[in-house]
Amino acid sequence: MREGVALCLKDLLIEWRSRDRVVSTLLFALLVVLVFHFALPGGATARTQENAPGLLWVAYILAALFGLGRAFSLELDNDAIAGLALAPVERGWIFLGKAAANLVILALAQAVTALAFALVFELDVFAVAGRLAGLVLLGSLGLCAIGTFFSAVAVRTRFREVMLPLLMLPLLVPVLSGAVRATTSLFETGSVPFDAVQLLIVTDAIYLIGSFLLFDFVVDE
Amino acid sequence: MVCQSLSKRFGRAVALDALELVVEPGEGVALLGPNGAGKSTLLRLIAGLARPSAGHLAVDGTPAHQREARARVGYIGHATLLYGELTARENLVFAGKLHGVPDPGARADELLAEEELAPVAGDRVQSLSRGMSQRLAIARGLIHDPPLVLLDEPFSGLDRAAARRLTDRLQRLRAGGRTVVLVTHELSRAAELSTASLVLSRGRVVHTGRSEDAAGMEHAYLAAVEGRA
Repeated sequence: MREGVALCLKDLLIEWRSRDRVVSTLLFALLVVLVFHFALPGGATARTQENAPGLLWVAYILAALFGLGRAFSLELDNDAIAGLALAPVERGWIFLGKAAANLVILALAQAVTALAFALVFELDVFAVAGRLAGLVLLGSLGLCAIGTFFSAVAVRTRFREVMLPLLMLPLLVPVLSGAVRATTSLFETGSVPFDAVQLLIVTDAIYLIGSFLLFDFVVDE
Repeated sequence: MVCQSLSKRFGRAVALDALELVVEPGEGVALLGPNGAGKSTLLRLIAGLARPSAGHLAVDGTPAHQREARARVGYIGHATLLYGELTARENLVFAGKLHGVPDPGARADELLAEEELAPVAGDRVQSLSRGMSQRLAIARGLIHDPPLVLLDEPFSGLDRAAARRLTDRLQRLRAGGRTVVLVTHELSRAAELSTASLVLSRGRVVHTGRSEDAAGMEHAYLAAVEGRA
């Protein structure tokens, strides 16, 4: 487990120095918010506010696809990915370390995007901030688990930019379904339906455990 | 280290074909051959970076891709395996943590001093020269003090002084009882740093011999390079 923590901290340190992924992910997410703002005329009407949770998750998913696609790119320079594969540890910890770093980077972009959404669609996010953060964390866990796994699969393929969404999007259906239903309910009623949270927890667990166990084969050449 | 009927295919391309090899502890082996002969593939298989398509490969009796075997292997490849955004010391400390070194900071400082890199310990790798990066890559490969050291063309890109220093370093490794497997195109270095040589061509062994037999090694190497083997 210490190896996973070391990898996570290493990724965050590199990100702190380059600010490469967090800035690009955030800019991409804000661009999506801007597009929604112009695509939905009439400003913050009741209709657009109803759709806002779904749109928020669309922005999160698109930004995550953009950011996760680059998660393993830094490991290609100098064949650093071989350095990870050489470590005499259960390779699942390498996956978890990477996924944790991706989660932190994505969370930073998500927090700012949520504020931008609140501003554009006049949503009172502060009233539900704690529960919204919990929901976003649950959704992002599954997103980062499957995204990190397929980012490692795609990074050695010729069409890696196309491969990641192709592999990842079909498996994100349960995450999106649970997250959008729960977020919509949170904004409408102030409560979160248990079945949606249950779906998110089960999906997260399956994706995390599956990716942990299968990562050994992904790292192999 | 034992290879039995070891084969590796990439799609329809055969990189290694039923290779047999035994390397005893403390031995120095030079792997020679033209480009595409399978030398680097063999090294990556021994390091556990890839799995054989067929056959058996074991380090100290453990299949090479298992973590117990990986713990015994130090791999210094074509690339440096280093992160340009991290400093020289940070790279070594990180590698030490990955390999479960008890005090990675102290070990990193020790290796930086050995490689005469202490003055640039705080410099980012992207600002180091090729020779310095190569020495740091060697330190990285030795961070966990492995008994088996694999080197893939470690002299490429080095100037004469840096190459001399690396030769001395490898001789010290050998003198320290480590097993060294070296891929190189330089026959003089192969003779200097190894006790046995192996010439590969198209994934097959075409010559094995003692490194003192420089003429035999050169003849087999040239035959392989010119496609006569």
